[in-house]
Amino acid sequence: MKQLHCQEKEQFQKLFRQENIDRLEDRFRVLDVFLSTEHHVTASDLFEIMANQGSDLTLDFVQDTLRLLCHFGFAQKNRFENGHVRYEHRHIGHHHDHLICTKCLSIVEFGDRELENRQVQIASDHGFHLLQHKTELYGICAKCQKDRGDLTPLTLAKSGERLVIREVSGGAGARMRLMTMGLRVGDVVEIITNINKGQIAVAVDCRRYVIGRGLAQKIFVSPAEKTSEHHECNES
Amino acid sequence: MPRKTITIALAGNPNSGKTTLFNNITGAHQKVGNWPGVTVEKKEGVVIRHGHDLKIIDLPGTYSLTPFSIEEIVARNFILEEHPDVVIDIIDASNLERSLYLATQLREIDCRVLFALNMADMAQSRGIRIDADKLSELLDVPVVFTIGNRNEGVDDLLKTAVDLAEKSFQISQGRRVKYSPDIETAILRLQEVLVRDYSTSIPCNPRWASIKLLENDQIVRNAIVSGTPTEAAVSLLDMEIQKQRHYIQARFDDDPEIIMTDERYGFIAGIVKEVVTTSTRHRVDISRNIDLVLTNRFLGFPIFIFFIWAMFQLTFSIGAYPMEWIESGVSWISTALDGLMAESLIKNLLLNGIVAGVGSVIVFLPNILILFFCISLFEDTGYMARAAFLMDKIMHLIGLHGKSFIPMLMGFGCNVPAIMSARTLESEKDRILTILITPFMSCSARLPIYIVLAGAFFGERAGTVIFAIYLIGILLSIGTGRVLRSTILKGLDAPFVMELPPYRIPMIKSVMIHMWDRSRQFLKKMGNIILVGSVVVWALSTFPSDIKYSRDYDLDIAGINARYEALFPSANPAMITALESNRDEEIDRLKMARHAERTEKSYMGRLGKLVEPVFLPIGIDWKGSVALISGFVAKEIVVSTMGILYVVKGDTDTEAMSAALRDSGMTALSALSLMFFVLIYLPCMATVVAIRRETGSIGWMMFSLIYSSTLAWAISFCIYQGGRFLGY
Repeated sequence: MKQLHCQEKEQFQKLFRQENIDRLEDRFRVLDVFLSTEHHVTASDLFEIMANQGSDLTLDFVQDTLRLLCHFGFAQKNRFENGHVRYEHRHIGHHHDHLICTKCLSIVEFGDRELENRQVQIASDHGFHLLQHKTELYGICAKCQKDRGDLTPLTLAKSGERLVIREVSGGAGARMRLMTMGLRVGDVVEIITNINKGQIAVAVDCRRYVIGRGLAQKIFVSPAEKTSEHHECNES
Repeated sequence: MPRKTITIALAGNPNSGKTTLFNNITGAHQKVGNWPGVTVEKKEGVVIRHGHDLKIIDLPGTYSLTPFSIEEIVARNFILEEHPDVVIDIIDASNLERSLYLATQLREIDCRVLFALNMADMAQSRGIRIDADKLSELLDVPVVFTIGNRNEGVDDLLKTAVDLAEKSFQISQGRRVKYSPDIETAILRLQEVLVRDYSTSIPCNPRWASIKLLENDQIVRNAIVSGTPTEAAVSLLDMEIQKQRHYIQARFDDDPEIIMTDERYGFIAGIVKEVVTTSTRHRVDISRNIDLVLTNRFLGFPIFIFFIWAMFQLTFSIGAYPMEWIESGVSWISTALDGLMAESLIKNLLLNGIVAGVGSVIVFLPNILILFFCISLFEDTGYMARAAFLMDKIMHLIGLHGKSFIPMLMGFGCNVPAIMSARTLESEKDRILTILITPFMSCSARLPIYIVLAGAFFGERAGTVIFAIYLIGILLSIGTGRVLRSTILKGLDAPFVMELPPYRIPMIKSVMIHMWDRSRQFLKKMGNIILVGSVVVWALSTFPSDIKYSRDYDLDIAGINARYEALFPSANPAMITALESNRDEEIDRLKMARHAERTEKSYMGRLGKLVEPVFLPIGIDWKGSVALISGFVAKEIVVSTMGILYVVKGDTDTEAMSAALRDSGMTALSALSLMFFVLIYLPCMATVVAIRRETGSIGWMMFSLIYSSTLAWAISFCIYQGGRFLGY
């Protein structure tokens, strides 16, 4: 275990130097403490531990360093039920490359000898002596793809379908507008009319909305369970 | 108890029954105006209740106090800056969760607020029961049940409001939304900075200001910045805001405003859980079922076209009867005046100026009322929003949302409120584009001109011709929209979401108030603009009074009289009658010639001759030109000017007008050209002012003026010259 941590520190040093990150020594101390914990910690947990050990670093600094650690793949950020963000370290052993999911930001490690060799080859073809390299492949991970499989944009819904809003992408303005008007993630919508290329009329509870096509494309839905409570209402 | 004025502001979601409640409280004692600086309609009314003057202000309907649209900014600023004594938040009981979103925001502002739980009967029929006492206790706010459309609970509501206003006020610190610890920390930190360094310019209370700053509210930021003297202090504030936003962002991995909205809803969910009991009764959502038909992809559009057709049909067929009554009333007045008064300049002014001018316009009051009645029916039943939805695809040809169709439809009534209603569009480019194309919607003031001209020259086919003119107006607006959209007003579709209000049976009272409002405006217009316009037109056509005639008409008339006088003795009774009618005809012809010469040599005639070269190529003579110019003041004046210029005898009814027009040498083709010119050319003064105000730019106003007149001339030219070429 100790061994592994040493290796990480080395990598850490190399990477941070490369990126010209300031206050290296302080950050090193954060890493040190972080690696000594073996559970999920929040930024404030870590800060407290360090403060108890007599450190004078600020919470924001600790926060920032953790962010960097996540960025370089040393730590992983998780948000749990109570809304707190916790960090855990990921052990990076010998040199390997990363596959990064752009959706859930999870990182998968891989090593490929052929790729390594090929990289050395490419470098030398250009007259380079290879010192260091980092390969990151971005994409959507298997799990997200599976989850995503059920999600369709609202634009593809057919009249009469009952769907649950799962996700709204887009800017904060548009998302807030929907929320304040009473269209939120988790709501069951029923499609009243979906004219090709036109706006979409939907009903939620006893409210009805017209949503523009552009916005509807950003609202992701999945089929509502048949057993879900059937809201019906009466109007005079 | 001394009587004082208590200001009460009504706030609430759109369609929460706010306006119904307002109408019920104030009745006809309403003043409709504009909010300063913006053109959101401001409605207020004063009533005397419970020993005080209550000044009730109807705030625009909003979903939140987050400034997405002008309405929300107006509502918020009113509460923050004008400090109403009491704010009544009208809560739609059947939509409690969402209504409480605005309510919690009002609660954060620290104003004296009380809740009106409206339409609780409807909620109950949906199996929703609300514990008002509990709600009142949980939020520390008085709660009153009301049923707006049955006027129940209104008195109680006002009593509670008065009590609240009289109580020495203690801002209750508790029962506000509490955010999660990290957010509270950020709020607190920002609050400290605000109180320390920017205390002079904080709107409302520091906590609220901090929350808004965290939500990236630019208006609050600018308000604070405007009171901050140095650049350095401004950038320090911005840095602090960014720092705290990052703080939240890092902890929750999302924009602070989203997190905070989420947490407010969380807080609301807690309240709802406490106060609402739902019995699972199965009911049918009637509005939804109606929508399944009315917005159906196949049925919706034909039904919509039918409604529009029915609206015009109703306007013209039913309007014809009261029109006749008013017409006979006007001619009765005219005859009575003629008989009562001795020949004088005053009589001339009264008869040929005022009665002829105003009389020829006032007959259209019924048509205009019916048109507005239909439009307010569309609005009050909730169909207007569906019309916007159905028109969306067509409006997309112009690159606009269906919502832009509402101003256009209202434009058929009057362009001024139509242009004002464009303010509900959020994107500025959409708004400007809609404002620029709305004047092509033929307003009700232009209608009399078509009725007179089409009636005179197209007889049976008048209806078709008028319909075609309206249609071409619509096509022109679409064409203009497309061109502008692809050139100077390029823009992307803004994210669009609109609530479809529930279908409601319109309240007679609200429709009546709306119609009364319109007729009052119309009559007021009669009383000033059109009256003055008519008098000016009359004066211009009457003076100078010492005209040098080309021949002595009086002498000629005397000559004719003498000639026939000489024939009478030798004629038998039958012949005498024939001779008499011959004589009268000759005299009439002379009188007409004299009238023609008089108007031609009057100031009006000179002005007309001056501009005639411009209008001749499109087949409009000097009289028509003058009428068109006078139409800039108000389109109604076109008809009254024609009445003064063309009509010889005192008759002002449409029939005499038609006859006079036919006699004046105007042809069907030139009438058509004139009608198209009227459709397209300069909007009236009031519309121009509205365009200036709404677009906030003289440039757009000038653009609209120049573009429409050029287009009008070009199209009329094509019609007239093309028609002549084809041999009409």
